[in-house]
Amino acid sequence: MDAKRNMAKGPQPREGGTGQMEGLDLESVIESARGHDAEALAEIYRRYVRRVFGLCRYMLDSRENAEDATSEVFLKLQRSIESYDGSIPFPRWLLRVAGNQCIDALRRRRRGRKVITEVEDGAAVIEAASSEPSPLGAVISKEERAKVRDTIARLPDNYRVPLVLRYYSELSYDEIAQQLDLKRNYVAALIFRAKQELRRRLPHRSK
Amino acid sequence: MECYSEQTCALAVDGELAADEAQRLRDHLATCQRCRALVDALRAENRVLSESLNELPEEKASPASFSPLRWSWGWGDLAILAAVLALGSIISGWFNELSIPAALEWFNPLSLTGLTNLILNLSYYFAHGGTAMLTDYAAVVGGLSLLLGGGALLLGRRARLRYPHLRLLIVLLTLSLPSFALDRRHADFVTVAANETVDDTLVAAASIVRVDGVVNGDLIAIARTVEVRGTIKGDLITAASRTEVSGTVEGNIYTLSHTLELYGQLGHSIYGAVQSLHVDDRGHVGQGVVMAAGDANLEGEVKRSVNMVISESGDVSGSIGRDLTMTGGSLTLTNTAQVGGNLSARVRQLKDVHIADGATITGKRDIQVRVRQSHFTRPRFYFHQAVWLAGAMLVGWLGLLLFPGFFQATTRLVGSGWRSLGLGVGVLAGVPVAMVVIAITLVGFPVSLMLLAVYLTAIYLAKIWVGAFLGRILLKPSGATKGDWLVGLLVGLLILTIVGFIPYLGGLVHLGVVCLGLGAFAGQLYRASRPAVTV
Repeated sequence: MDAKRNMAKGPQPREGGTGQMEGLDLESVIESARGHDAEALAEIYRRYVRRVFGLCRYMLDSRENAEDATSEVFLKLQRSIESYDGSIPFPRWLLRVAGNQCIDALRRRRRGRKVITEVEDGAAVIEAASSEPSPLGAVISKEERAKVRDTIARLPDNYRVPLVLRYYSELSYDEIAQQLDLKRNYVAALIFRAKQELRRRLPHRSK
Repeated sequence: MECYSEQTCALAVDGELAADEAQRLRDHLATCQRCRALVDALRAENRVLSESLNELPEEKASPASFSPLRWSWGWGDLAILAAVLALGSIISGWFNELSIPAALEWFNPLSLTGLTNLILNLSYYFAHGGTAMLTDYAAVVGGLSLLLGGGALLLGRRARLRYPHLRLLIVLLTLSLPSFALDRRHADFVTVAANETVDDTLVAAASIVRVDGVVNGDLIAIARTVEVRGTIKGDLITAASRTEVSGTVEGNIYTLSHTLELYGQLGHSIYGAVQSLHVDDRGHVGQGVVMAAGDANLEGEVKRSVNMVISESGDVSGSIGRDLTMTGGSLTLTNTAQVGGNLSARVRQLKDVHIADGATITGKRDIQVRVRQSHFTRPRFYFHQAVWLAGAMLVGWLGLLLFPGFFQATTRLVGSGWRSLGLGVGVLAGVPVAMVVIAITLVGFPVSLMLLAVYLTAIYLAKIWVGAFLGRILLKPSGATKGDWLVGLLVGLLILTIVGFIPYLGGLVHLGVVCLGLGAFAGQLYRASRPAVTV
C-alpha cells in the first residue's frame, strides 16, 4: 500500500489539459498508462513535461537537445512505465529516468566516454578549500534567482550535472553516484566545489 | 571540541551524513554558535538553489514535440498569418514605390515584366535541368560542401564542433567562394572603352553594360542591357533584359535574358533561357546552342547541334552544322535553311512543322507528334524518381550528421502548422525581394548570392523536413534515434512523391510543402539564434 501511496506524492505541476483524465488522481492515471492508454500517457505528459524539460534544459547545452531528450523520455515512457514499482514517488522516478536520458545524451556526445571522469585529487582537496565559508544569502529576489539559474547553466558539466541532479531532481548522493558511475565521495566533493564555484561567480549576492 | 568543517556541515544539511556522525554534529551545534550559523547559512543556500532551479521561466517544451498533430486555427495563428500577409503587402507596396534603378526593374519580381521574366525564365531554366553552367556551379559547390562537410565531420569525431554557427559559416563560405577575385563595377553605365582592356573577370551591375574594348576574363553582368561590341576572351554570363553581342565572345554565353541577339562571333556555345533568341545572319556560333526559348530565330550559322525547347515558334533560315532537335511549339525551316545532321522535332500537331522545299536536311527527318504518354509507363521515370529519392535521403542523412539538433528541431517545427506555413509564404515571397534590394548595392552582391544559395538550398531541404515530419507522425516511432528519423524521412518522401503526381492537387501540395519547410527553417533559424543559456 505504501508503494501505491507513494505514486501520488510529490509535485504535480499542471500544464492545462481538458481530457477526462484531468481530474483523476495520479495513481489511477499511472494504472491506465500501464495499460498503454494513450490518454493517460498524454495526461502524464501534460502534468510533467515542464518539470522534465526543465531538467533536460539544465543538463544539456541547447534547447533543441533538451526538447529531443524530453520527447525521448515521454516516448520511452510507454514501455518504461511498466518498470515503475511505486517504491519512490512517481515524479522523482520520472526525473531519474529523465536524468539518465540526459546523461546518455551527454555520453553520446562524448562518443561513449563518461560524462564526468574521476580525477585523483578527489575529495582530499576540499577541506583545504573551505577556509572562509560564505554561503549564498537566504532571501533573494526573482531577478537574483534568474541570475543564479544563469550562472548554474554556465557551470562546466562536472559541476552543473551533479548540482542539478541534487537540487532540481532531489536525488541522493548515492543515486547521483549510480547515475554518473562515480564514487559517492567524489559526488559529494563535486557538489561542494560546484557551490563554491557558484559563490565565486556570483559576487554581488545578497547576504 | 574542535569545530566541524564546512564540507561536513554541508553533508549534514544535505542529509547525507551517517547517523552517528549527524548526532555528534547536532550535539556540537547546541554549544557552538559559529557552526550553528554556518549550518543555517548552508541550509539557506540549499533553499536558494532549489528555489532558483525550480522556478522555471516561461520557456517550456513546445507541445508539438510530443503531439505534433494538434494543430488548430488558434487566434494567435490567424493573427500571425494576417500580420505576415499585411506586412507582405506593405513591403510589396513600398518596394513598388521605390525608385528602383530602371536597370533592375525587369528583375523586380513585383512588376509585371519582372514577374513574367522571372517565372518564365526560372521555370524554363529549372524545368529543363538548368544549363551546363548551373550544373557546373552546383557540382563545384556540392563538391566543396561535401569536402568541407566531410572534413568538419571527421574533425568532429575528434573535437566535436560545438558551435552550429561555425558550421553554418563554413557552409556559407563554401557557397560564396565563387565571388572571389573579381573586378566589380557598379554605376548606371558600365563601359569598357574601345581602347581599354580588363585583365580580370569583370562583374558589373548597371543599367547598361557596354564592352567596346577587351575583357580578358569572363564578363558577369546584371543589367537592363548588355552590349558586347568588343571582345570577351572568356565566357559571357548575363542576367539582363536584353543581351546583344555584335563583337566577339570567345567562350560560351550563359544567359538568363528577355532577349538575346547575336550579330557577332561566338567561339563556343549558347546556353540559357530567353524569351526571344535571335542569331542574325552575320552571327556565328562556333559550337552549339542549348536553349529554352519563347521564340527563336536562327538566321546565322551554328557549327554544331542545336537543341531547343520552344514554347511558341522557332524559325531556321541559316545553317546548322549537325543535328537540330526541338521540342514544343512550332518549327519553320525556310528555303535557305541547312541542317547538316538529323532533324528531330517533337510537336503537338504535324502541321506545327513547316519545312520549305528548298531547305536542306542531310540526315533523317524525325517528326514526332507528341501524344502525351504517361510517365508511369516508362522505366526511366522510375529510375529518375529513385535517384531523386536516394539523393534526398543522402542529403537528409548528411544534414542529420552535421546538424543533428537543427535538423530534428526543424522537423518538429513543421508541426506548428499554420505558423510555419504563414512564415514560409512570407519567406518564399520576401527573400527574392530582399535579394534584389541587397543586390542593388553592389557591396551586397555577394551577400545576395549567398542568400540565393541558402534560399535554393532551403527550398530543396523543405521537402526533407516536411517528409521527415510526415513520416514521424505516421510511424510514431517508439524511440527518437537517427535511424527512426531516416526511416520516417523515407516514408514521408515516398508519400510526398506519390501525392505530387496527382494533377493540380500535387502542385498545390508541393507549394504547401515548400512553404511549410521554409517556414520551419526560418523559425528554427530564429530559435537557434537566441541565446541558449537561460532555462
